[in-house]
Amino acid sequence: MTRIGRRLRGWTNGVMDLPQDLLQNMPRITLIGNKELYIENHRGVLHFSSEQLTLALVKGSLVITGKELVIRNILGQELAVEGIIGEIRYIESEEHS
Amino acid sequence: MKEPPMSSLRGFVTLHVTGPQVEKFINAVTGAGIVIWDVRPAGSGVSLKLLLDDFFTLRPLLKKTGCRMHVSGRHGVPFMAARMWKRKFFTIGLFLFGVSLLLLSSMIWSIKIEGNEHIASEDILAAAHQEGIYPYQWIWRLDEPDKLARELTARLPGITWIGLERTGTSITIQVVEAEQPETKPLLSKRHLISRTDAVVTEIYAEQGRPVVARNSRVKKGDILISGILGDEENAQYVVAKGDVKGLVWHEYNIAVPLKTTGSSYTGERKDRTYLVLGKWAIQLWGYGKSTFEKSRTLTEHDPLVWRSLELPLGWMTEKELEVKETTDTRTPEAAQQAGMEQAKKDILARYGMDSVIKSQKILHEKKENGKVYMKVLFEVEERIAEELPIVNNRGE
Repeated sequence: MTRIGRRLRGWTNGVMDLPQDLLQNMPRITLIGNKELYIENHRGVLHFSSEQLTLALVKGSLVITGKELVIRNILGQELAVEGIIGEIRYIESEEHS
Repeated sequence: MKEPPMSSLRGFVTLHVTGPQVEKFINAVTGAGIVIWDVRPAGSGVSLKLLLDDFFTLRPLLKKTGCRMHVSGRHGVPFMAARMWKRKFFTIGLFLFGVSLLLLSSMIWSIKIEGNEHIASEDILAAAHQEGIYPYQWIWRLDEPDKLARELTARLPGITWIGLERTGTSITIQVVEAEQPETKPLLSKRHLISRTDAVVTEIYAEQGRPVVARNSRVKKGDILISGILGDEENAQYVVAKGDVKGLVWHEYNIAVPLKTTGSSYTGERKDRTYLVLGKWAIQLWGYGKSTFEKSRTLTEHDPLVWRSLELPLGWMTEKELEVKETTDTRTPEAAQQAGMEQAKKDILARYGMDSVIKSQKILHEKKENGKVYMKVLFEVEERIAEELPIVNNRGE
C-alpha cells in the first residue's frame, strides 16, 4: 500500500464515515452473549482445540479461549464459533501480516 | 447459516481428520472455496462435515497438508439411495406397500343400506350397481353423492328420499320409503260351512245370509252363512264372513302310565378341551376318566371363522354332565288327572284357544299293565265355520 493510497483512504474514511472493516481489512467480530461468535474478514485458522482458537488477521491475530469450542461453519473469510466463550484477546503485530 | 441448503438432499459426510497441521488443512479447504461446518475437536484431530460433491476434491489438499482422513458418517439422499439399491426388493416392497395402501383405500369396500322395510336391499343394491356403486369400485369413478342420490331415487319406485354418504371406504345409503296403503287380502266369494257335526250356540254374520239359527243341529258340510244374496233370479255373490260357534263332542282314548321315569342333571360335570386341526383333535385339558355312573356328553365345536369362511382350526369343548335317573309312581287318581289335562291341552291346541270345555265325562276306565286306560267324552264349544268357495258354472 503506497503512502498516497493510505492517506487517500484515511481521507475518504474521514469524509464519508465508512466502516473500518471495509476499508482497512479489519475484522468484524460479533459476539452474542458468551455463546456465539462471528468473525468476518479473518485470514485463516492458526490453532484450533476445544479450549482455544487462534485466528490469523490481516494485522496480528485473535485468540479466543473458552470451553467446548466448535466451529459451526467456516466459509471463505467468515467464521462462526459456538461454545462457552471466556476470553477474546487481540494480539496486534505489525510484522505478522 | 448452519449448513448449505439442501445438504441432506445433496448428501454430506462426516470426516475425521488427523495430522500434524489440521488447522492448515482447514485453511486450505476454505481457501479452495469448500464449505465445511460443524468443525469440532475430536481425539487427536477434528471432525467436520462437508458436502459429498466437495469430498472428491479433498485428496490433493490432504496430500499437501499431510493430513489423513477417515469417513465416520454418511448422510443424505445419495447414500440412502445406494443403501436402498443394495436392498432392491425391500425397497420395491416398501413402494408396493405404499401404492397398494393408497389403491385399496381409494376403493369402496362395503355398502350399507338403512331404513328400508318393504323394498328389498337386493333391489336397492342392484339399482346402485347400475349407477356404479358396488364393492371394489374406485371411489374416483363415483359421481357426486347428490347426483347419485337423485338418480337412485329416479330408479327405485316407492321411495321418497335417498341419502348417500361416503365415509372412507364405505357407503351408507339412507332410504325413506313412501307410505303405501295397506293391501287387503283378496277373497273369493264363498260360503261358510260347518266343519263338523255340532249344535250351533252362537252365530253372527258380518257379511252374507245366516242360514241356521241358534240351538239348531248341523251336520258336517251344512251351509252356516250363505254367500248368495237374493233369490234364484237375482242372485248376488258375496264373501261370507262371520263367527259361528257350536257345541261339539270329542271322544278321547287316553293311556297314562303310572310309572314315569325322568332324568335330571346332578350338577357335577367334567370338561375336556380340544384343539381342532382339520380332522384331528388334540386334547389340551381335562385328562382322565370321569367317575360318573351315567352321564350325557355335550360337544361344542367352534371353529375359527373369518367372514363366512370356516377355517379348519378351532376349539372343541366336551362337557360331560352327570345324570341321575328318577322314577316316579303315581296314584291312579293322579294319572287320571294328568291324562285329562293332556287331553284338554290337545283340544285347545287343535280347535283354537278360545274353545271352552263345557263338560267332560269318563265313559270307561281300566287299569292294566301299569297303565290307566280311559275313554273320555268332552263337550266343547268351539268355532265350527269353514270356508267353501262358490264355483260359478252357470254357463252350462
